[in-house]
Amino acid sequence: MKANGESVSTTLACSVMLAVSFLAVACASVGGAWAQAYPAKPIRLVLPYSPGGIIDYVGRTLAQNLAGPLGQQVIAENRPGAGGITGTDAVARSAPDGYTIVLMDPAIVINPTLQPSMPYDLFKQLTTVSVVSSSPLVVVVAPELPVKSMDDLVRYGKANPGKLNFASAGIGTTPNLAGELLKLRAGIDATHIPYKSIGQSYPDLMSNKVQFAFSSIAGALPFTMDNRVRAIATTGDTRNPVYPDLPTIVETGLAGFEVDLWLGVFAPAGTPPDVVARLNAAITIALKDPELGKAFAKVGAMPRGTSSNDGAAFVRAEHAKWKKVIEDAKIKLD
Amino acid sequence: MFIRAPKDFWAGVMFLAFAAVTIVTANGYSMGRGGRMGPGYFPAMLGWALAFLGVVLVIRALVAKGESIEPIKLRPLLVLVASVLIFALAIQPLGLVISLVGTTFLSAFATPDARWREAAILSLALTGLVSLIFVFALRLPLPIWPSL
Amino acid sequence: MDVFSNILLGFGVALSPQNLVYCLIGSVLGTMVGVLPGIGPVTTVALLLPISFTLDPISALIMMAGIYYGAQYGGSTTAILINIPGEPSSVVTSLDGHQMARQGRAGPALGVAALSSFFAGCVAALLIAVGAPPLAQIALQFGPAEYFSLMVCGLVAAVVLAHGSIVKAIGMVILGLIFGLAGSDINSGVRRFTYGLQGLADGVEFVALSMAIYGLAEVAVNLEKKEVKSGIAQSIGRVLPSWADVRTCIPSVLRGTTLGSLLGVLPGGGALLASFAAYTLEKKVARAPRNFGQGDIRGVAAPEAANNAGAQTSMVPMLTLGIPSNPTMALMIAALMVHGVSPGPRVMTDRPELFWGIVASMWIANLMLVILNLPLVGLWVRLVRIPYRMMFVAIVAFCCVGTFTINSNTADLAVLAFFTVFGYICLKLGCEPAPLILGFVLGPMMEENLRRALLISRGDPAIFLSSPISIGFLLAAAFLLIVVAAPTIRRRRDEAMVE
Repeated sequence: MKANGESVSTTLACSVMLAVSFLAVACASVGGAWAQAYPAKPIRLVLPYSPGGIIDYVGRTLAQNLAGPLGQQVIAENRPGAGGITGTDAVARSAPDGYTIVLMDPAIVINPTLQPSMPYDLFKQLTTVSVVSSSPLVVVVAPELPVKSMDDLVRYGKANPGKLNFASAGIGTTPNLAGELLKLRAGIDATHIPYKSIGQSYPDLMSNKVQFAFSSIAGALPFTMDNRVRAIATTGDTRNPVYPDLPTIVETGLAGFEVDLWLGVFAPAGTPPDVVARLNAAITIALKDPELGKAFAKVGAMPRGTSSNDGAAFVRAEHAKWKKVIEDAKIKLD
Repeated sequence: MFIRAPKDFWAGVMFLAFAAVTIVTANGYSMGRGGRMGPGYFPAMLGWALAFLGVVLVIRALVAKGESIEPIKLRPLLVLVASVLIFALAIQPLGLVISLVGTTFLSAFATPDARWREAAILSLALTGLVSLIFVFALRLPLPIWPSL
Repeated sequence: MDVFSNILLGFGVALSPQNLVYCLIGSVLGTMVGVLPGIGPVTTVALLLPISFTLDPISALIMMAGIYYGAQYGGSTTAILINIPGEPSSVVTSLDGHQMARQGRAGPALGVAALSSFFAGCVAALLIAVGAPPLAQIALQFGPAEYFSLMVCGLVAAVVLAHGSIVKAIGMVILGLIFGLAGSDINSGVRRFTYGLQGLADGVEFVALSMAIYGLAEVAVNLEKKEVKSGIAQSIGRVLPSWADVRTCIPSVLRGTTLGSLLGVLPGGGALLASFAAYTLEKKVARAPRNFGQGDIRGVAAPEAANNAGAQTSMVPMLTLGIPSNPTMALMIAALMVHGVSPGPRVMTDRPELFWGIVASMWIANLMLVILNLPLVGLWVRLVRIPYRMMFVAIVAFCCVGTFTINSNTADLAVLAFFTVFGYICLKLGCEPAPLILGFVLGPMMEENLRRALLISRGDPAIFLSSPISIGFLLAAAFLLIVVAAPTIRRRRDEAMVE
């Protein structure tokens, strides 16, 4: 015990010394920040979901590729909780200095309409830096179903009212809203069956307990490769390189039916415009790297990279689009 | 009335209390129907089941004889809970080292046998050990020192 | 035979120096995080995920799998020594394991835990090698209705875990179900029982709950007693289990392994149920069931075997169907996808070296773990000799830091404080926490599958009677309920058992 205590006190002494030197460095860097150009210290990129998902992967890849153009390390950090709200809220409340930014998916524009109360205001407390990637969803159907195309699906739905179920990754998620949009646009009826994640719904899709789903490409790929579920269309504005043979839903005749699982980088509102511009420029450079393109493609994402103004306009448009779907389909959390 | 099985009686009371809170809260959510259950349906069901069990326990405790509750000493419990709460309040602003020294030092006094010197050494040693394991070996993102 | 050439291929892959090193790293890391309360395999695998992108996919998966099994071995250590189960599966181990530790038999308890895990791990690996595809088919037979019936059966079994009043045990199961419901409801998106607290939006954290009830509340009760050091016996006794111990355990280990291997295949919480089910089975089959809960070595052996067998067969749906059984598996799928491998039936044919390499690495990892853990037993046992007035401060420190590290969320610490008080009251009132924990873990899944089944059947409850599997579980549940509830029947059963 005594020897242990001694080694602990040595460790403590070392830690104190370390801390003092850190403090000195921290003070120096704070003092120097005024003189030095942004970024003067590592940047935190908050990922508001658990590790393993698309955001996690895209975020980590992006963080790695940003280090070069920014000349500073970008540290990806998972802050999961409450469907992305916890992590986004943490960034919305942090200092608007460009050192804390967040990568978020369409939930950021859906939550304000869906949730009865939000801890932050998307349009007042956050500013769009850039929309960094696009990934369409893919429509998958149960293999037993006599449905080979979108037309078949709509026809089947009309001929068998009350028979269709569609899976989603939970209420208010993009796969849920895409399904509701299809019901509205095609005039068919289908019961929404929520799962914890879209991956969880595949056993029920394979056994035809659930008939169709709008799935992320990464989630669908293992099952569509060997036709354990059938992919019939994608939801992008152009065909997807992962499924070059599948038509887009727009091609099949539902004009304007585009659903995008985009990812965007946001900073706290009030971040100086030159800092946002610096970040945006670095992101644009990073997204042009062909290696990054290949890495994104593995999860069905395509690099995008908008200016911060275009990004903000896109985010507003997405907000309006889903708000209308939520209101028209009368989706409520009750 | 005469409580003949205090343990069962108070367990029943506890179940009734939780059941009441559950039922009241669940009634705030929509019930839905059997086929399309609302978020309140399942909790309300559980609440009523728990209430039933609570009533059974209470009535049985009045009829049949049972165990009595061992004497309660509040000091250990209160000190432990206070230590946890102090850690909760201190960890974000003050960092791991300071809050853990405080928490462990205080918690040592949960037992009346505590000695000042021993508690001090113990809290420093444990803080060192925990910091080594969680921060240096596992590299978990914990605040170590007070944030400026 | 084909299986042999495949297994040879697998060993060829798994025995390469590089893969052996990663297997060892994984096993050591896994044991470490298993022993430490708070940090579990999911966190560790998540932390290592970015590193795995740079590795060869086989090495990455072997390392992750090593962490996963290692945590199963290590998890029982804290459950036995200081009664803090870090994972739902080690709750059961702590029931008899910690009692053994108190009687000075921590060594045999830890030894038997490691040996049963080793045996179960080897059998499960063999089973996967011989029959992965048909095993995977079992998983596909399970829809929402079947899962619901399985959960009902599991909850009824939870009542058997308790040895006191049945009414109280049922009450604790229900209370556990209620606590489990806090957070966002996936069917409606409503946040329930959060009372406006953002920190409860994702529900009550399991680690905080179990540390509060088993760790801190237990400390509070122990400290009330005059003789404070009475928490744990002073003599260490034997370090390793005796031959007699091992012999007593053999049938239990066999039953546990069988049950664990089968339940582990089910993605919707099957592996979770394995250790509970194994314990229940032992208690029902045993000649002297009253010893259970008082430090019966079979109560350690069976759940540990089931637990490790289940952990291993839960890789079957991941490898052969691409369906994750638990968050750790989801992370492994993510790691594979990044390497361009889509887990599914084609992995076995397209990438046999990957599939068989992992199967072979299961044996190697288990061997490493048992070699690693048996000598450690001696070290752990010495830890028990630390006076309780120091030991409990360490428990407080690990509970606080462990709880905070899960989500870096102070709300979890408030949960820890709340449930410490709750756990204390329960202990004082003779309400046992094990049924509560099982209810807590199964509650959300049970409601989810119940509502999903009724949505699919458009509200017709006949869906639960529409498949033989579902009917089977419901009948088993009814049978168990009768056995437990009717004391006369039970007495007769016990007499029948004695013969």
